[in-house]
Amino acid sequence: MKKYIIPILLLCLSTIQIWSQKVDRSKAPKAGPAPKIQIGSYQLFTLENGLKVIVVENHKLPTVSYSLQLEIDPIKEGEKAGSVSAAGELMTAGTTTRSKDEISNAIDFIGAQLSSGSDGIYASSLTKHSETILDLMSDVLLHPSYPEAEIEKSRKKTLSGLVSEKTDPNSISSKIGNMVKYGKNHPYGEMMTEETVNNYKREDLVNYYNTYFKPNVSYLIIVGDITIDKAKAQAQKYFGAWSQGAVPKMKFRAPKAPAGNEVVFVPVPGAVQSVIDITYAIDLVPATNDALHASVLNNILGGSGFQTRLMQNLREDKAYTYGAYSEITPDDYIGYFSAGASVRNEVTDSSVTELLYEMRKLTTEKVDDATLQIVKNIMTGQFARSLERPQTVARFAKNIEKYGLPKNFYETYLERLNAVTADDILKIAQRLLLPQNTYITIVGNKETLSKVVSFDADKKPLVYNPDGTLFVDMKPAPDGVTANTVLGSYIKACGGEEKLGKIKTMTQKGMIDAGMAQLDMQVDMASGKSLKMTLSMNGAPFMTQLFHDNKLTISQMGQKMEGDEQDILQAKIQCDPLAELHFDQFGLKASLKGIEKINGADAYNMEVIYPNGDITTDYYDVATGLKIKSITVKKDGEKSVTSETNYVEYMDVEGMKFAKKIKQSGGGQDATIITNSIEINPKFKKNHFE
Amino acid sequence: MKKILSLFGMGLMLGTAGVAQNIQFTEYDLKNGLHVILHEDHSTPIVAVTVLYHVGSKNEQIGRTGMAHFFEHLLFEGSDNIGRGEYAKYVENAGGGLNANTSQDRTFYYDLLPSNQLELGLWLESERMLHAKVEKEGIETQREVVKEEKRQRYDNQPYGNLFPETLKHAYKNHPYAWAPIGSLEDLNAAKDQDFVDFYHTYYVPNNAVLSIAGDFKPEDAKKLIEQYFGEIQKGKEIKRPTIVEPTNTGEVKDVIKVKDQLPLMVQAYHIPEQGSKEFYAIDMLNTLLSNGESSRLNKSVVNEKELALFCGAFTFNLEDPGLTLSYSVANMGVDIKELESAVNAEFDRLKNEPISDNEFQKLRNQIESDFITRNSSMAGIAESLANYHTYFGDTNLINTEINRYMAVTKEEMMAAAKKYYIPENRVTLYFEHDPSLLKQ
Repeated sequence: MKKYIIPILLLCLSTIQIWSQKVDRSKAPKAGPAPKIQIGSYQLFTLENGLKVIVVENHKLPTVSYSLQLEIDPIKEGEKAGSVSAAGELMTAGTTTRSKDEISNAIDFIGAQLSSGSDGIYASSLTKHSETILDLMSDVLLHPSYPEAEIEKSRKKTLSGLVSEKTDPNSISSKIGNMVKYGKNHPYGEMMTEETVNNYKREDLVNYYNTYFKPNVSYLIIVGDITIDKAKAQAQKYFGAWSQGAVPKMKFRAPKAPAGNEVVFVPVPGAVQSVIDITYAIDLVPATNDALHASVLNNILGGSGFQTRLMQNLREDKAYTYGAYSEITPDDYIGYFSAGASVRNEVTDSSVTELLYEMRKLTTEKVDDATLQIVKNIMTGQFARSLERPQTVARFAKNIEKYGLPKNFYETYLERLNAVTADDILKIAQRLLLPQNTYITIVGNKETLSKVVSFDADKKPLVYNPDGTLFVDMKPAPDGVTANTVLGSYIKACGGEEKLGKIKTMTQKGMIDAGMAQLDMQVDMASGKSLKMTLSMNGAPFMTQLFHDNKLTISQMGQKMEGDEQDILQAKIQCDPLAELHFDQFGLKASLKGIEKINGADAYNMEVIYPNGDITTDYYDVATGLKIKSITVKKDGEKSVTSETNYVEYMDVEGMKFAKKIKQSGGGQDATIITNSIEINPKFKKNHFE
Repeated sequence: MKKILSLFGMGLMLGTAGVAQNIQFTEYDLKNGLHVILHEDHSTPIVAVTVLYHVGSKNEQIGRTGMAHFFEHLLFEGSDNIGRGEYAKYVENAGGGLNANTSQDRTFYYDLLPSNQLELGLWLESERMLHAKVEKEGIETQREVVKEEKRQRYDNQPYGNLFPETLKHAYKNHPYAWAPIGSLEDLNAAKDQDFVDFYHTYYVPNNAVLSIAGDFKPEDAKKLIEQYFGEIQKGKEIKRPTIVEPTNTGEVKDVIKVKDQLPLMVQAYHIPEQGSKEFYAIDMLNTLLSNGESSRLNKSVVNEKELALFCGAFTFNLEDPGLTLSYSVANMGVDIKELESAVNAEFDRLKNEPISDNEFQKLRNQIESDFITRNSSMAGIAESLANYHTYFGDTNLINTEINRYMAVTKEEMMAAAKKYYIPENRVTLYFEHDPSLLKQ
C-alpha cells in the first residue's frame, strides 16, 4: 500500500511545480531591458580620380559585394526616352575584349552576380572569387563596346515589354501617375513609348556613357568579407585607371501639385479592381528634419504594418482591400506623396473618400500621444532590424558623405525620433498633405468612371489610354458599315450623287465672325476647275484666295503668296461637290474607327490621312449621315498643330444640304462662318477666275 | 553522440566541396509533441520567433479550397487574451514586425522582435496555438479581405491565372490541383463550424514547429517555451493526404485565353518528391537551364533566337511530388509554336548530349554560391530550420544539403532528364490573347 503513495505524491508535487510556473496569460509579458542598438563602422577613402570608396566589413558570410553608384542629375530624354536605361543595361553586353557570351559565362562560372544600369553597376560573389568578378566589373565599366546587334536585341525586348505593360493595371498606374504629377517634360514624368524606343541609336548610348560614367561623381561601396587593406588595393587596381571628366548639371522646373483635385482615369477593360493612387509632387529633401517628421507622419497614415490609419480603415474595418498604403518620399530633386489601394470596383468611390478623409484628418487634428508613441516604437524597431544587413551601414555612410551630415547623424537618429512632437506632425501634415490639391489616378473598369467624377474640382476628369494619349470612348461600327458606306450616306444626305453631280458652278455668300473682326465672304466655284474666295471688311477687299490652273495664289493687302501642295489639294477637294466619292483620286486614305458620342449623338469616327501625312478625323452623325465635326492634326516640324471644325447647322438649297453655320478653332483663334445664300449654277464672266 | 559523428562526417565531405557552413542549433520535443528549434546568434539585438504549422492547401477538401490560407488571416484576429486585431498592435508597439504565409504544404507565422521581447513573441504564438478566436466578425471581415487579395494578386495581375491553371491541368487527383488562394465560391460556402473544426484539427502542437533564431540564451528560452507552450493539449494524429498523382499519362495540351497581349507558354513536368536523389538531379538540370544570363534557355531562346522576352524552368518543390515549371513569354510577333519547339529542343539536349566538364563545374559553383548566400537573415534561418525538420526530418540539412547536390553526377542528370523530361509526363499550356476580353 505504502509503496504506491510515494509515486502519487511525487506526481502531485511535479504537477504543483508546473502549476506554480504557470504564466499569467491575461496580459502581455514585460519586456526585458532594452538592448543597445549599435551601428557598425565603416571606412572611407578617395582615389586620385575622385572615386569615393566606402567599406563596411562584415565577415559573417564568405561573400563580398561591390556597388558602384553614380550621383548625377536626372536626364531628360525627350524623343529618345529609353536610351538612358539602354545605355546602362547594355554595358554588360560586350566590351572591347569580351563578347556578351564571354562576360556572362565568366560571371556564371563563379556563381556571381553582375548587373549594370544607367546609374551604376552592382557585383557580388563569394570572397574567393572577388578578383575575378572585379576584373569583369572593371572591364564592363571602362570598356563597354555597345555592339549594334545587342542594341537591336535589347530594343526588341523593350518593345515587347511595352506591349505587355499595356494591360497591366499596376504598371499603368505608376506610369500615368508619374506623367501627371511631374509632367511629360520632366525627367521623372516622361514616358517611354514604341516611338521613343525606336528613336535612339548607338551613338546616343555611347554619348550617355561617355558623358556620365565618371569617377568624380561616383561612389564605390564595398560590403562584406573583406579587410580595409584589401579593399584599398582592389579599388586602386580595378578602378584607379578610370579617368575623370566634367559631368553636366541639369536644372528642371519643379512640378507643383494641381490647383484643385484632378481625377485621372485610365480604363482597363475587364479590370476586377480599381488601382487607386492619390499622388502629387512635393518639395522634401532627404536627411532633413522635415524628412524625419514626414516619415513619422507617413507611418501614422499608411507607411507599413497593420496598424496605420489607412490599413485599419480600409482593410480591417471596411474590408475594401487587401492593403492600403501611403508613401512620402523625399528626393534630391523633387519628392512625392502617394496613397492608395487596389479595391473592388464597387467601392472605388468610397475608398477615395476614405483615403482623402484620412489625409484631411491629419491636417486638422493633432495626433494623440499614444499613437505617436506607437509609431516611434515601430520606427525604432525598423531601424534596429535594418542593422541586420551590413548594406544599411553602407547606406548611412553614403548619406553622411553625400549630404555633409554630422558623423554621428545616425547614432543620434533615435534621439531625434524621440523628440518629435504632435505639433511637429500637424505642421508637416499641413505642409505636405494636400487632400484638395491632388491627382487622383484610378486605373480600372470604365464603368467606375462616372462614380468618381465628383472628386474632380471642375468635374472634368482626364481620361487617358495606358500609353498616355487621351482616351477616346469608342464602340465598334456595326458589321457592313465601312468608310465607303459612311461617305456614301453623307453624299446621299447632302442631296445625292445625281443632284450634286449637276452642280457646275456655285456662289456662296456669308460672313466670318472672328471675334475682333467681322468679314464679308464670297466663294465662287467652278466644279473641278476653279475656286475664288474673297473676304472684305466694310466693303473693302481684305484677302483673295484664287485657285486656277493648278495654282493657288493668296493676295492680301498688296502681298501675293503661292499656296503649297497641301493648299492646292484642299482647293481641288473644295471644287468637287462629290469629293467624298473621289478620295482615291485625291490620294486620301480613309478608315472607319468606330462610333463615339459627339455632343450627345452617336457619330462615326473616320480617320483620313493626306498624302503629306496630315491627319483629319471626320465625324458623321449616325442618324442623319451629315458631317458634324472635323479635327485636323498638322505636323509642323517637331510640333503638331490641331484645329477643329464644327458643322453646327445645315441649310436646304434646291433639295441639297450645305453647311450654314461652321465654328472653327485652332492655333488660339476662334471663328464662326455663316452662309446666308447659295446660288447654284450661276454664270461667271469668262475671266472670272484669272 | 550521434550528432557529433554526423557533423564530423559532414566536415569531411564539405572539405572536398570547399564549402564551410555551420549554423548551430539545438532541437527537442515538448511532451505535447511541439518540436522546438533554437539558433543563437548575438550579432544583432533581434530575435525571430516563428511557428510552422504543417498544414497547407493540400490538406483541404474539394469544395472547401482556400481554407488553410484563410486561416492564416483569421489567426491574426485575436485569442482569449488578445483582443481583435491586437496581434499586430503588440508586435508593432514593441518595435517588431509580423506576418505569415501559406503554401501547399504549410502555414508559417513569424514575429521579428527586439531581443528583449522574446517572451512577448512566445506569449502571442502560444495564444494562437492554445485558444485563437474563430468568430463571426473576424470571419466576415477576413473573407472580404481575402477576396481582395485574390483579385489583387491573381485576377488583376498579368497572366494572373497562370499558376492556378497550370496546377489544375497538371494534377487530376492530388490536392495540389488548386493554388493556396483557393476559390471565392468555396470561401463563401464555408460555414463557421468548418473553420472551428479546421483549427482543432491542424493548429495543435504535434503539428507545429517553433523555430527561434537570434539574440537570446537557449537555456532561458527553453524555460519560457515550457511555460507558454507546455500546457497546450496534444491534438489527434494528423491524417495526411495519401493520394499519388499518376505520371506519364500522356501530354496534356490546352489553350487559355487571356487579356495579355504577348503569348505565354507554360510547360509543367511531374518530378520526384523533394529530398530524393533524382530530385537533386532535376533541380540541377533546372539550374543549368535557367540560372544566370549564360543559362541554356536564356542563351538559346532569348538571346540567340530572340523568340522570347523571358524563358526559364524552375523547380517547384513540394512535399509530395512537385513540378518543373518552365515558362516563356514570347516576343512580339513570335509564333508560339516556334517558341515551343525551341524550348523543347533545349529539354531534348539534356537527354541526348553530355554536359561538358566546364559547364558542369559552372553548375556546381552556382549551387555552392546560392547555398552559402541563402541564409543571411535570422528570419530566413528560422524558416529554413523549420522546413528541413518538417519535410526531411533532418534539421541539419541546413548545413549539409549541399552535399546531396555535389554528389549528383552528369550521368544521373541525363538519366533523370530521360526519365522525367518526356512529352507523356508534361502539360503544355498556351496563354493567348483574346481581344474580346478587352471589351469594356
